Amino acid sequence: MIQKKICMVGVYGTGKTCLVQQFVHSIFSVKYLSTVGVKIDKKQVRIGDQDVTLMLWDLEGRDGTRDVSASYVRGAHGIIYVADGTRPETVEQLGDLRRIVVDEIGETPSVIALNKFDLKDQWKLSATDESSAGGADFHRLRTSAKTGEGVEAAFEWLAEKTVAGTEKGS
Amino acid sequence: MTVNFESSDNSPNGADRAAEFDALRRLLVGPEQSRIDELSDEIESRELTSEELAEKLPEAIALRGSRDDQLGKSLGPTIETALRESIRRDPQEMAAAIFPVLGPAIRKSIAETMASLVRSINSAVEQSLSIQGMRWRVESWRTGVAYPEIVIKHALVYRVEQAFLIHTETGLLLEHVSAPELNVPDADLISSMLAAIQDFVRDSFNPNEGAMLRTFSVGEHTVQVEPGPRALLAIVIRGQAPNDLLIKQQDALETIHLEFASQLADFNGDATAFVPSRPLLEGCLETVLSTRKPRGKAAWLRWVIPLAIMILVLAGLWIRATVRWSRALAALRAEPGIVVVDASRGFGGWHVSGLRDPLARDPSQVLAAAGITPRSMTGKWEGYLSLDPQLVSLRARHAVDSLRRQIQSDRILFAPGSSQLDQTALAKLTSIAVTYRSLEQEAARLNGAVRLELQGRTDPSGTDQTNAALAANRAAAVAGWLESSGIAAQQLAQNAIATASPIVAQDSAERARINRSVSFRATFTAGQPRKGNR
Repeated sequence: MIQKKICMVGVYGTGKTCLVQQFVHSIFSVKYLSTVGVKIDKKQVRIGDQDVTLMLWDLEGRDGTRDVSASYVRGAHGIIYVADGTRPETVEQLGDLRRIVVDEIGETPSVIALNKFDLKDQWKLSATDESSAGGADFHRLRTSAKTGEGVEAAFEWLAEKTVAGTEKGS
Repeated sequence: MTVNFESSDNSPNGADRAAEFDALRRLLVGPEQSRIDELSDEIESRELTSEELAEKLPEAIALRGSRDDQLGKSLGPTIETALRESIRRDPQEMAAAIFPVLGPAIRKSIAETMASLVRSINSAVEQSLSIQGMRWRVESWRTGVAYPEIVIKHALVYRVEQAFLIHTETGLLLEHVSAPELNVPDADLISSMLAAIQDFVRDSFNPNEGAMLRTFSVGEHTVQVEPGPRALLAIVIRGQAPNDLLIKQQDALETIHLEFASQLADFNGDATAFVPSRPLLEGCLETVLSTRKPRGKAAWLRWVIPLAIMILVLAGLWIRATVRWSRALAALRAEPGIVVVDASRGFGGWHVSGLRDPLARDPSQVLAAAGITPRSMTGKWEGYLSLDPQLVSLRARHAVDSLRRQIQSDRILFAPGSSQLDQTALAKLTSIAVTYRSLEQEAARLNGAVRLELQGRTDPSGTDQTNAALAANRAAAVAGWLESSGIAAQQLAQNAIATASPIVAQDSAERARINRSVSFRATFTAGQPRKGNR
């Protein structure tokens, strides 16, 4: 059984928690986020012929980049950056977030989830905005925590990358 | 030849010049050149001699080993083959070589197995036999809760229910063990959460010092976290954990760091490498029941009760024997005519020695009368005359009877038709009078009285009338003599039997002779025994 630590990174209100909420296996209530400040969920995916358990780390959102602490991302095998497609500033902050993460753990398999895609009438991102979000060569996906669109794809893509990374590394 | 030289001189093109230069060089350094070629051949074709190799080999191995692990990889198969071959050829040699390593390991394993077996047998016996154990069984049966649960509920001091081995950096679960009946499906989530909480606490309170949340309590559970450089070991304890549990936990974590150093360093999400660490973690799981503490007392009690019973039985037997012994001695001592001088008891039986009056009862009869039958008794008795009143009177009775018999065996004979005492009769009467006085004395000792009846007889010749008178005269003659010799008249009774009950004899002449006589009948009347007189 392969396990991977995946961190949800994104500023407050981008829907990190909602993104994992619906399809993960969870034994801790959302209350943990406000009480302990952190919540771990588990998602099992199948990559090729092996099961991979993703341990999804979700921190209580505060404001700005303080949401990402060093110890939180330490040891992470993959990062899901979450931005809110209806709030372009959350996309702009992705660059800062990424720097913090890379400073701490170096380059790591990552994916950007442009969330809240169900709110199509409030979607503020142009095609260029989307393709350049977070900087160059990023895998990006439109996601909706409400409808579930793109969510599974995002996790599976990342899981595959982390496993591939392991295999290459060994 | 000359032509050649000529042409080269005359046509000085490049090829010719090169040839010339070559020739010149051969002339100048020819011998050195050939020597260089030889050396170069020698170097190329050269192989290390064994001696040179022996010189260089250790250094070479060390050098290559420091560079990469290729040496290990190439030597691996060879060493394996060599080992296999060595074992095949002489397994004894290899066994001897690895014995120092295997021996202690096997011993330790056996010792631990035995210890745990003994522990479980002990606790099973203790719990099933004790009153407490019975009570718990009843409670288990009554409430429908499993017996082990009841035991834990009542007797638990502490119990390590779970152990998590957690990768420090990622918070991922490396290995998890739990008590057999406990089902923990989300150990991985708990593990990550524990790690996350560690981060949270560290960030919140002490971000610079790498401090840790070491212990926290939840209800009756305590989580004790022991950090290591690459992994942390968290144990979940129910109840009150002792201090040495922490040392055990640290030991386990240190051993894991030692044995799984490379796996921990290279961990990339695959926890299968840590399956072998399970026994180490299981070593931390333990249940300590309070019955273990009073076990010493219980064991002591279990020995004391039979011991006490045994002591009581022995003491009882001893007391009984002693009582029997003292009763026997008392009976012997109380027995008239027996004086116990020395008495002892041993494995061989009873030994009694002392004095015994010939008239006294046999000692074993005395004991039998007292209801005591000794297994064996040896007696050593010296004869003596007892002054015990009972024996004195007994002895007196014997004397009285003897004297009476003596007197009664005699008779005074008369000539036919005569009542005159002849010389023989007088001599006999003198003797009888002496005997009678002795009888009187003995009777007096017994406080009794004697009477002497004088029975006068005749032979059948003559008439009854004359015979009766003759018989009366004969008795009176004897009585008169006895009175004159000092015997009180009232002690003497005269009975003229004549021919009424003759003394029998075969011959008629003899019968007639012995019936012309006075015979005696001494009677003794016992009086009240005198008290207080020995």
